[in-house]
Amino acid sequence: MDKKLEKLLPLVQKPARYIGGELNSVVKDKNAVDVRYAFCFPDSYEIGMSHLGMKILYAVANAREDTWCERVFAPWPDMEDVMRQNGIPLYALESGDPIKDFDILGFTLQYELCFTNVLNMLDLAGLPLRAADRKGLSPIVMGGGPCVCNAEPIAPFFDLFSIGEGEELNSEIIDLYKKHKALGSDKETFLREAAQIPGVYVPSLYDISYNGDGTVAAITPKDGAPATVTKRIVKDLDAVPYPDTFVVPFIDVVHDRVTHEIFRGCIRGCRFCQACFLNRPIREKKPETINEQCKTLCKNTGYDEISLCSLSSSDYTRIEDLLSLLLDWTPEQKINVALPSLRVDNFSEALLNKLKSVRRSGLTFAPEAGTQRMRDVINKNVTEEEMIETANIAFAGGYSAVKLYFMLGLPTETDEDVEGIGLLAKKVVDAYYTNPDKPKGRGVTVSVSCASFVPKPFTPFQWEPQATAEALGHKQQYLKEHLPSKKISVSFHDIKVSALEAVFARGDRRLADVLELAWKRGCKFDGWGEFFKYDVWMECFDEIGLSPAFYANRARSYDEILPWDHLNYGIPKSYLIKESEKARRAETTQNCREKCAGCGANRLLGGKCDV
Amino acid sequence: MYDVRLWLSKRGRLKFVSHLDMFRMMQRAVRRAEIPLWYTEGFNPHPYISFLLALSLGVEGEKEPVDLRIVGEMTPEEIKERLNAVFPEGLRAEAVTLPEHKPAEIAFADYFAVLEKSEITAQELRGALESGALETEKSGKSGGRKVVKTVNVSEHIKAFEITEDDTHIYLNVTLPAGSTFNLNPLQLLDAVSRYLGRPVSAESAVRKRLLRADLSEFR
Repeated sequence: MDKKLEKLLPLVQKPARYIGGELNSVVKDKNAVDVRYAFCFPDSYEIGMSHLGMKILYAVANAREDTWCERVFAPWPDMEDVMRQNGIPLYALESGDPIKDFDILGFTLQYELCFTNVLNMLDLAGLPLRAADRKGLSPIVMGGGPCVCNAEPIAPFFDLFSIGEGEELNSEIIDLYKKHKALGSDKETFLREAAQIPGVYVPSLYDISYNGDGTVAAITPKDGAPATVTKRIVKDLDAVPYPDTFVVPFIDVVHDRVTHEIFRGCIRGCRFCQACFLNRPIREKKPETINEQCKTLCKNTGYDEISLCSLSSSDYTRIEDLLSLLLDWTPEQKINVALPSLRVDNFSEALLNKLKSVRRSGLTFAPEAGTQRMRDVINKNVTEEEMIETANIAFAGGYSAVKLYFMLGLPTETDEDVEGIGLLAKKVVDAYYTNPDKPKGRGVTVSVSCASFVPKPFTPFQWEPQATAEALGHKQQYLKEHLPSKKISVSFHDIKVSALEAVFARGDRRLADVLELAWKRGCKFDGWGEFFKYDVWMECFDEIGLSPAFYANRARSYDEILPWDHLNYGIPKSYLIKESEKARRAETTQNCREKCAGCGANRLLGGKCDV
Repeated sequence: MYDVRLWLSKRGRLKFVSHLDMFRMMQRAVRRAEIPLWYTEGFNPHPYISFLLALSLGVEGEKEPVDLRIVGEMTPEEIKERLNAVFPEGLRAEAVTLPEHKPAEIAFADYFAVLEKSEITAQELRGALESGALETEKSGKSGGRKVVKTVNVSEHIKAFEITEDDTHIYLNVTLPAGSTFNLNPLQLLDAVSRYLGRPVSAESAVRKRLLRADLSEFR
């Protein structure tokens, strides 16, 4: 360990975030590899170390003999101060080497509010922020993750983006980089060729022009870049490599357990949900594969908890088979199995009984909206009866705490819909007290958590305005005033945070100037309440001359060119328009297993979906 | 079922891993090593692992005792080998023995600290340690509230020895340890800093061994 760092670490909180050397972290001989890759997570160690995608891509890159992939997180502000005061540049945890000298820096962009952290990390590394100012082939700064579906606001800081799933694509990018490094090519030559790899988006090869009203006039590719970049997917999840070990952190992180992805995609098609539309088509992994991989992971990490993750766990067709396999060996080894993201409409008693044999925690459901009309608009196909029935199963099974997730500010929402949230929660309270099998001698607590709706690209709601801060404030107040029971507690997400998220989610490339100015004025860790500086952000929009309302609160027409129109996630605009129209008529769409709605994502698989 | 006492060394970067985190790390290590531990029988069973004395963040350890309750036949030698095969770098089982003394018998600890001559001279350090006027602040609890108390450090220094070379000063010091009162070398240096009116830090500090009230080694 570096002597200078060793002397400074006692000055910061949780120094074990910055020391590396965790069990199963990969150390290679730097002179024996061709490519040094820094996987950068633009948030704290505790958040980044919880992220499954990083574990997968870390394993894939390190499986290559020619590549050494290391981890980098955003230092907490106390550590950043110490680093800046003592001239310590941002370093990778495994080697302690400055990432400035690496070949590739790969940032994962999981949420819009981490964008300032990306800029801060580039600066801490000692690199120019803008791609155009970084001459020379290395380091190539690339981005991946859900936010690259509209990376325009942050595009000028990146050399390339990898669109879609990275297991195979990342390796192709590394191969090409290695070739050009050996040839001594310049960055421009590498990027022109990289743009030919399916799934690679090189933003500098696209000129964007604007109309007088601020909307996009044209997106023009150059130097042979494709007019449309189509996302990459992995076709067979059973065949794609899954890590056989995880880096086990020293300190407690948010998700500190074996996490296993049981399928990708979602059959539901809730109209607000970007994850659904970005990750189609649905592809399941076999229970046998999952079970074996879980065994290996538990053995290699020593974890005593397995969490099965997906967008909607109970939609996994062989969930009971999988639980049987897992429950065959986990109780004996005192390992818990957790199953988050259950739906209320197919949560069976048999499933609950299986889950009961492992440790019980609270129960969380996401009805998302308070009235049936509103749920039909967003295509959240659950009914009140199903909800109450599920709650009753859970209460009889010994649960007495229920968390309910909702959104405020959905398209067409009225005060009646807002009031409906309280009424629905009240019905859950009543169900508890009328349930003869409820736990003895305990009261019920129903916690209602309300987020503000943020319209996202590639969803049927991508043309919708976000409700203004005033309107959202009214809705929150209205709900608080119309809560029908003291057993219900309600909490809200910060409206201003959601407003900024909405701006960047559907922003264009001009926002890069706002981003850079806000970073210069000290904005970072915007997703953390204690660091979020709304007023500074508003000043920056003002100075650059861009209006947040133009991006967040403006209704778009179907024929407007959207800043992300040159990317293709497998679902054509025509389908999203059809869904948007159905939403306006409060018509639902059946899920993929009931009836194929023809979203088009099957073409990515070459024909047939795995429903 | 029987208890074994594991003697751990915790070196290098691991000195930045806290007591609580060490406990979690040990729970996972015994699982990986497949050591048959006895589990508590409560609502939420957990393996019986007991770190006898917390080691302060920033201090390395040479012989830190941890008690494990074993079910079955595994020998101390096998436990040691299995653990060393799965520990992260910096952590080592130096020995596995049968416990001889009760944890409550821990009374003192021997520490070794390395100081830089650019920060302090041997005379200054000796003068401070013999001054009788060293004080530091310790936070504790009184009636459920957090309070900061000023503690006289001088009266707690059981023994010390100072040597030096061209660049460094080496301090061997015996300080109180155990469940009732603890003083670590970083707190001692904090008291020295206050006394001299300028910061003095340790390049490294290590706990060498634990002692009983009569200064015989705790085993």
